[in-house]
Amino acid sequence: MSITGLYVSRLDALPKIFTELQRLNYTVVGYKVVNNVLRLDRLNTFEEVATGVEDVQNPGRYYLIPGNFHRHGPDSPKNFLYPPRLPLFEVSPEWGVVVKDYSKDLRLAFFGIKSCDLTSIKVLDRVVSDVDETYVSIRGNSVIVVENCTQPGNTCFCNTMGAGPRARDSFDIAYTRLGSKLVVEAGSDLGLKIINRLAVEPIDDSTYSEFESVMTKAALKARANFETENLPELLELRLESNAYKEVVKRCLGCANCNLVCPTCFCFDVLDVLRIDGSAERVRVWDGCLNYTYAQVAGGHFRPDLWARYRHFILHKFTYWIKQFGTFGCVGCGRCITWCPAGIDIRDSLLRVLKGGVI
Amino acid sequence: MSKLKVAVFKFSSCDGCQLQFLNLEEELLQLTEVVDFALFYEARSSVEPGPYDISFVEGSISTPHEVELINNVRRESKIVVAIGACATSGGIQALRNWANLDEFKSYVYPRPEWIEVLKNAEPPSKFIKVDYEIRGCPVSKEQLLSFILQYMRGKIPTLPVSPLCIECKVAGNVCVLVVSGTPCLGPITMGGCGAICPSYGRGCYGCYGPAVDPQAPAMNRLFKELDLKPKDIQLLFKQFVNWAKGFKEVVEEYE
Repeated sequence: MSITGLYVSRLDALPKIFTELQRLNYTVVGYKVVNNVLRLDRLNTFEEVATGVEDVQNPGRYYLIPGNFHRHGPDSPKNFLYPPRLPLFEVSPEWGVVVKDYSKDLRLAFFGIKSCDLTSIKVLDRVVSDVDETYVSIRGNSVIVVENCTQPGNTCFCNTMGAGPRARDSFDIAYTRLGSKLVVEAGSDLGLKIINRLAVEPIDDSTYSEFESVMTKAALKARANFETENLPELLELRLESNAYKEVVKRCLGCANCNLVCPTCFCFDVLDVLRIDGSAERVRVWDGCLNYTYAQVAGGHFRPDLWARYRHFILHKFTYWIKQFGTFGCVGCGRCITWCPAGIDIRDSLLRVLKGGVI
Repeated sequence: MSKLKVAVFKFSSCDGCQLQFLNLEEELLQLTEVVDFALFYEARSSVEPGPYDISFVEGSISTPHEVELINNVRRESKIVVAIGACATSGGIQALRNWANLDEFKSYVYPRPEWIEVLKNAEPPSKFIKVDYEIRGCPVSKEQLLSFILQYMRGKIPTLPVSPLCIECKVAGNVCVLVVSGTPCLGPITMGGCGAICPSYGRGCYGCYGPAVDPQAPAMNRLFKELDLKPKDIQLLFKQFVNWAKGFKEVVEEYE
């Protein structure tokens, strides 16, 4: 929730927020351009923040063009809060166990992530907070500076999922770029403290109506062709839909959708043995599209690919509601863009809802 | 603890997989403290007779004589572990399975009638029971070591079983298919190498063979949509594991 309401400053307030975060001993994490792709990474200076580029995202395709607004790349805050490969503990040759503390002294400030990614953090909060000490520790020491998304892309449907394009709560600072102006609001005491150090004024009528109109337009752009009302129930009623079998004719079963999804949290645990008698236990990302994921001693829950794809959809849109009281999908569109085969989850849902035809 | 008695056998192959034992270098010295390489022609001239606890088998079976030998290996070994693309799928020797054998023989040998070969180069599993497979062209030395360490400690050895894409993302790579349309076999290929090729911006060549449930028809379909020439698509599948299930069917489509 905003605790200040909207204020106006100038664009040059952004680098000030950045350095203020560093002054408060935060490691700033934001989007920078690496090999023509936006990567979420640690940033040393404000100059490293991606600028002058726009990401073009379509099913199975991603590239950058010159522009003034960027959304995201394959990484999400999950990469930092729930790392792809997390060492859990080390066993010495004498069987002594040393628990590793990956999160020690980690103070992260997410800078310029969009509302979809903020919502993904809120979703992860509900899912893993009770069970993952590493997550709790990193999350507890993190700050979120979110940018309201004025230009959703082709694969975005955050508004349908109630995840954007405007951030409503759970941030420290939310900002919106409007030409040379910067609209800011604080969502926490820390955010307020930082904003107090900027030159800001209460928002004037004309800037406010510009803000409203930009955000309304953005919201319309971030909509899918389905509604979420009764969606969990409708999907459950169509459990036997033939649409899943149709869609997976294109599916490679590679689990890229799981890996780029900012809320997919499934993992595998591996033991790495060393010749000196020591060993390490690590947690690595896994996903339900992977054949071996649902393979257990004595059998397999979902040997058919269509059943695995159906599980992915049903978990995000039906089971998640029952388990955690929220959708598992934030409409960021990463699973659409980063599916090598370009399978569009919006189309898949429509097919299921409309009985296999669209 | 008594030493593990290990044999390393070679059939039709290039020796690159067994060489990975020697590439362990520093760890190899430590390994020889717990493992007795009783038969390992590439490393030592003295040979101890079987039976062996583990026989690592490199290469495909391509002659009647090799059929005899691989049966002997099975009889002398507690467990047989096929290592590398040749021993798990027929490897590049299997490329000749797609060609006219007599023609090949007459090109290469002055007396082709002396050459006794099987109709097809096949993995050892076609002739004997193989207990474990270690994939790759060549296999990774870390996996060889990991296999032995797990076995020695009484654990059922497990190796990576996920598609390469998972390792590739964990390694922090960006998908080459999505950003540059580079043909990549990663989605249907078994992980284990740590996504070496995509880490350098190249597509995966599939040398670790098919994933557990490879969606080769969908991969083939995607390459067609990327406007690759039929011949080029065939060559992608007709590499290290051309004779493996899934890959073989796509190669056939373009024969």
